[in-house]
Amino acid sequence: MTNVTDLIRWLSAAGGGDTVALKSLYDATSAKLYGVILRILVDRQDAEDVLQEVYVTVWRKAAEFDPARASPITWMVTIARNRAIDRFRSRASRPTTGLEAAAEVRDQSISADMVIEASQDARRLGTALATLDPRHANVIRSAYFEGLSYDALAAREGVPVGTLKSWVRRGLIRMRSELTP
Amino acid sequence: MTGPDDQMDPNDQTNPAMTPDDALAADYALGALDRTARRDVELRMARDPAYAAIVDGWQALLVPLADAVAPVVPPAQIWNRISATIAPVAAVAPARSFWSSLPLWRALTAGATAVAAVAVSLLVARPDPVPPPAPGALLTAAMAATDKSAAVLLNATFDPARGAVILTPAAADASAGKQPELWVIVGTHAPRSLGVIDMRAPQAHAIPADLRPLLGQGVTLAISLEPAGGSPTGLPTGPVVAAGKLAAI
Repeated sequence: MTNVTDLIRWLSAAGGGDTVALKSLYDATSAKLYGVILRILVDRQDAEDVLQEVYVTVWRKAAEFDPARASPITWMVTIARNRAIDRFRSRASRPTTGLEAAAEVRDQSISADMVIEASQDARRLGTALATLDPRHANVIRSAYFEGLSYDALAAREGVPVGTLKSWVRRGLIRMRSELTP
Repeated sequence: MTGPDDQMDPNDQTNPAMTPDDALAADYALGALDRTARRDVELRMARDPAYAAIVDGWQALLVPLADAVAPVVPPAQIWNRISATIAPVAAVAPARSFWSSLPLWRALTAGATAVAAVAVSLLVARPDPVPPPAPGALLTAAMAATDKSAAVLLNATFDPARGAVILTPAAADASAGKQPELWVIVGTHAPRSLGVIDMRAPQAHAIPADLRPLLGQGVTLAISLEPAGGSPTGLPTGPVVAAGKLAAI
């Protein structure tokens, strides 16, 4: 398992133009990012395109990475999710693509998310999520993983947008209080 | 953190106390914002460290969610595509792409210093509608054709004091009805767009302030031909017709 120090060193070297360091970074992190992107987009072709964009972005922005502010994985996952969400939304806005249909397909697997636990942090977060109303926990996961806007989530849940936002924010605050010592 | 939220009735539907800043930061971390709102947050993060810290906190809180997703090994060709984008000379480039012309113009621009000398004399000799920039810090590039002729098509002079590149055509228009776009390439980094230009008339082309530091000795300027409005992707999509390296006058 690659440690954080390696990731920081590779990012720093990539920021200086070292392509070998970027390859090391890619080898260590691409399966994780591809999993996250695929979870949002489902379509493999789209996910491959986005993965490529993500590492080109990482390459260009590597010099801006500040290890004092975020872990390398948090930084890269943010880039990957933002890119994947943009792609998902631009796809969803095409008139022939039904947003609800896409959401339904992915809805099937949401409950399995927290079963696969990879880290202590994930377990703690899973525990915090479990203290929430299941519907609130579910919309937080959906917002994180499916690129759905609050409007789309509210429509899916059949509640006003204000209520939906209240669920999410209430849930996040509660999670923060559970997770912050 | 402790506070009134900890004691909240789970069935209570009222909004918990959350400052607008905190709520926006959480929305950003969750991915609920559209692209415009997200960029606003990122701009604010760049100039407001306290706000950036709030966003960082939410990001760090939520990122373990990503740990719960099973990793999937991507197909091997993805790395090849990334590699072709970031390290063009070493990579196998697809035919007719921007990169296929890179080794050619790299070779051409290797002799840029000699060409630049010619370029300077051309620049001085021709009546120039643009006021002559103050001497000292100017950098100039003779932008040579990437075809066999290697003829200088355009002279480019960067004037840091004005934050502009003065473009002076030195040959017949080579834009073939397409939209020429100017790029800067630093080392093996991907090209950065300096905006669309006109190859037919002398002009002072303003360079965005954040890109000016890139324009130093030895960096390459290149012109590609793009669809109307410029490259849709942020990278050159059409053929590179001219390139040259910046050198001190």
